[in-house]
Amino acid sequence: MRSLVTLIMIGLLASVFPANADKSRVRTLLNEIDDMWRGQSSYAITTMQVKTRHYTRSMKLEGWSKGKEKTLFRIIEPLREKGTATLKSANHIYTYLPKTDRTIKLTSGMMMGSWMGSHLTNDDLVKEARLEEDYDATISFEGVRDGQDIMEFTLIPKIDAAVVWGKLQLIILADSHIPVVEYYYDEDMLLARTISFSAIKTLGGRQRPSVLRVVPADKPDEYTEFVYEQLTFDLDLSDSLFSLSSLRK
Amino acid sequence: MNIITLAARNVYRNGHRSVVTAAAMAFACAMMIVFASLIEGFVKGSEQNIVAMNSGDIQIHRPGYRDDPDIYSLMIDSADLCNRIRQAGFATSERIFAFGLLASGQSSSGVQLRGLDLDFEPTVTLLNRQVMLGDWLDKTDHHGVVIGKKLARLLDVSLGDELVFVGQTADGYMANDTFYVRGIMRTVSSAIDNAGVLMSKSMLRELIALPEGAHELVVMRTDSMMNLELASQKIKALIRSDLEILNWRQLMPIISRFIETAHVQTLIMMLFTYIAVASVVLNAMLMSVFERIHEFGIMKAIGVRPWQIVRLVYAETFIMTIVASVIGALLGSGITWYLQNHGIDMSSLAEGISFSGIALDPVWYASLSSESVLTPVIFLFVIAAIAVIYPAIKVAVIHPVDAVHHH
Amino acid sequence: MNLNTLAWRNLWRHKRRTLITASSIAFGVLLAVTFTGAGDYFYTRMIDAGANMGMGHITVAAPDYNRAPSSKKYLHQAGKLRQQVINIEEVADVVARIHGQAMFASARTSIGGMFIAIDPKQEHADNNLFIKAMVSGEMLSSASEKDIVLGVDLARKLKVDLGKKVVYTTTDNNGDIVSAIARVSGLFQTGSSEIDGAMAILPLNTVQKVLGYQQDEVSVLAVTLHDQRSSHQMRDTLQNMAEFEAVEVLNWQQTQPDLAGMIAVDKSSNYISQLLIALLVAAGILNTMLMSVLERGREFGVMMAVGMSPRNLFLLVMLESFWLAVAGLIIGIVVTTPWYLFMSQTGIDLSEYYGEGFSFGGVLLDSVFKIRLFKESIMAILIGLFGLALLSGAYPAWRAGQIPPVESLKTI
Repeated sequence: MRSLVTLIMIGLLASVFPANADKSRVRTLLNEIDDMWRGQSSYAITTMQVKTRHYTRSMKLEGWSKGKEKTLFRIIEPLREKGTATLKSANHIYTYLPKTDRTIKLTSGMMMGSWMGSHLTNDDLVKEARLEEDYDATISFEGVRDGQDIMEFTLIPKIDAAVVWGKLQLIILADSHIPVVEYYYDEDMLLARTISFSAIKTLGGRQRPSVLRVVPADKPDEYTEFVYEQLTFDLDLSDSLFSLSSLRK
Repeated sequence: MNIITLAARNVYRNGHRSVVTAAAMAFACAMMIVFASLIEGFVKGSEQNIVAMNSGDIQIHRPGYRDDPDIYSLMIDSADLCNRIRQAGFATSERIFAFGLLASGQSSSGVQLRGLDLDFEPTVTLLNRQVMLGDWLDKTDHHGVVIGKKLARLLDVSLGDELVFVGQTADGYMANDTFYVRGIMRTVSSAIDNAGVLMSKSMLRELIALPEGAHELVVMRTDSMMNLELASQKIKALIRSDLEILNWRQLMPIISRFIETAHVQTLIMMLFTYIAVASVVLNAMLMSVFERIHEFGIMKAIGVRPWQIVRLVYAETFIMTIVASVIGALLGSGITWYLQNHGIDMSSLAEGISFSGIALDPVWYASLSSESVLTPVIFLFVIAAIAVIYPAIKVAVIHPVDAVHHH
Repeated sequence: MNLNTLAWRNLWRHKRRTLITASSIAFGVLLAVTFTGAGDYFYTRMIDAGANMGMGHITVAAPDYNRAPSSKKYLHQAGKLRQQVINIEEVADVVARIHGQAMFASARTSIGGMFIAIDPKQEHADNNLFIKAMVSGEMLSSASEKDIVLGVDLARKLKVDLGKKVVYTTTDNNGDIVSAIARVSGLFQTGSSEIDGAMAILPLNTVQKVLGYQQDEVSVLAVTLHDQRSSHQMRDTLQNMAEFEAVEVLNWQQTQPDLAGMIAVDKSSNYISQLLIALLVAAGILNTMLMSVLERGREFGVMMAVGMSPRNLFLLVMLESFWLAVAGLIIGIVVTTPWYLFMSQTGIDLSEYYGEGFSFGGVLLDSVFKIRLFKESIMAILIGLFGLALLSGAYPAWRAGQIPPVESLKTI
């Protein structure tokens, strides 16, 4: 849960860059994507829209990140939840609840819970930071598909990785290396969920998709959509921002 | 002379002997009544322990709710359903559930919030009596909850401590509130033990933004004599067919089997008691006849016919059995009546183990019914009648000379 | 004539009733053996099953672990402690285990549950119930670092099968959230949906790494005893050992109070039933002896007239009760022995009555009704019935000693 910025877009995509210095083409490319998204620190304002069979709701969040381990985000709208903040520092997750003025620490038992009513779980957010150690990547397709010049990466979880997926597929545009879609498969290689990227615009100084939509495979009518309104990289953020006391603000 | 009068005179004349024989039979009869009532009390009690504690006789859910307790798997017209069920003469209560995280200090745990209708829940279960520490829920207390025993240990909380809940509302927002521990439950079910947070239905409705509907309807027979299957049928006829209606035997098949097994074991025990009674009565009757063989020999000698002797022996037995059964029934009912009201407190018998933790009622109550009195009385007559067949025939056919010399 | 011989002869003057009364005592022996034996057998089985499901008859754990379990509370130098215990004569086995709460996730869903981490070298079917409960695949072996064994219902809910991945997430010794991957190597079914739907078995050394424990650190030492009844005494013994000063030693009654309570309730109802039957047996003896005293009024009168003291008459009748009890007990032992041998070795198979899907291979519950008596119970039954017989003979004997000689001579 590296802030909203890295939360999904950078997190799930870019952090798959290989850790060692092997200069294979895959690594170079994934490194490039990673460089494109990753900053030493970041700040973002995002709108999250969730549609399920039972409700449709939206919320606006702001978030900060520093390095890979520190993330803080806070709800701006709606009023009902304003001020609710989540801090991730290393492997701890804390949530501040303004209604009751309490900070609680999440335990393993809560990891299965939906994150803010979306189609992501708390577990998705914790696992995210480890992706780079967890997958082996190969280019599985290059060329024109559906009228677009694309590259397709297949990411296979390493044998020891604490990953439930069978494989991930990431498709990026061949020229700009902008991501298009990412597929999550279960162990039987059945599609479990899809994350698609759209509405490319200038964000944080360069072209990036500003809309990201998560669709669970078993409920195709539902989705969670993130719309990035503002994104800034490499701010000077102090460590004290990511402390329990700044959670309450 | 009238045979009954003669028999009565004989019984009276053999005062000591008759008293001892009748006393043995009366005692046996009283024991049977006490035991039968204790067994009936055990059967009723064990069902009550299981059913009245939490599950109720019958539960109604949306199909699939029990496997996947989705907050939206709701019976939206539950209020109307309840009315109809109550009009048909059953007791019923709505329950709603929600899941989330409960935290206290540095500890937190996944929990199930159980919203109970505080007015109607006591009409279907005895949950409100299973508070081990502290108090049961109160409508005027909008922050007090009652939690499971193991959950309390896991969160390391005691009475009065603060709890923070965070979960999700039905309309997708964050559900969040603070509670305090008002009470801690005994073990009713492992679900409540490990993760149960009990609160009033209205509190939970507000917390999770669920203004109407229920996840579970618990139904209880008001007439305990009504057959469980029949009750299920009646409920089925009352409500929509798309709901899942299960009685407690279907909800808890293994426990149901356990109880059946326990019943069979107590019936075996009952059978053994009857055998023991039979041996007492048999011996008593044998003695009361054979000891008077001398006397019967004289009767034969003065020309009383064998058939008449058999009738006489039976008449005497009948008189003694009547006296014994009246005394036995009175004594047995008296003891049972006491045990029905006071019970046998088994916690004192059980090596000082504390029962504070489990919801099994440690007091064993007897249950007095016409059946538990009549069956032993009838059995007493039957066994007495069987017991005197042999001695009666023996004295009827005995040669007078042998009888007089018989010792 | 010797009073003893006289009493014995008196008894056999009425063979029929003596035999019937003696048989009722014998019947009492049979019943007491059956019911006490069923209890002794069943409770021991339940207690052993409970012990083999995790905590042992005796549990050695970090202070306060039992009251409020947490991965932050654990034992150090478990190996040394284990060596201390395993050499005690009464101890059958000691295994080191880690217990914990975890979230299990597959690609489809995630479910909260609990785990027991075991050292496969220490565990076998006699001290680990889950090994007996395996229904498919293999229990962990010392080679399996990334294996997990799941309850069948847990596997079904996660929609995984043998060979599939499961990620478990738990809290380590710093309170941090940690995850690890495992592959399903086996499934077990105990028959209890609470266990089958929430329990997983993991390898001890893997879990130690995940939780940040050292090799010698575990949450509990589960001690199994040859005889569960020595759990109180063994706990006290261990508590008094210097090495165990800094840790908590508990017996199964403390770690499983629910089971202890259940058994106590069942035991008391069993005792009450037996008490009722004992009263009936006593009534039978009382009836017989009283009758025999009443009918011998004249005889006693004559004996008193020829100089027998009331005390001796009392003794005579008591001796009759004594010999009646001896006869009854002997018949009882003769009748009960073959029954007991049959019931303790073969038993009655009730699986047909219970039907399909109840016993699940008899892991938690036996579908065979068997009995087994502790030595103490045998003594209790024999002494109890003997005492009962003497007690019921006391009133008739007292009556015999009371009969005034002249009046009894009149009653012909």
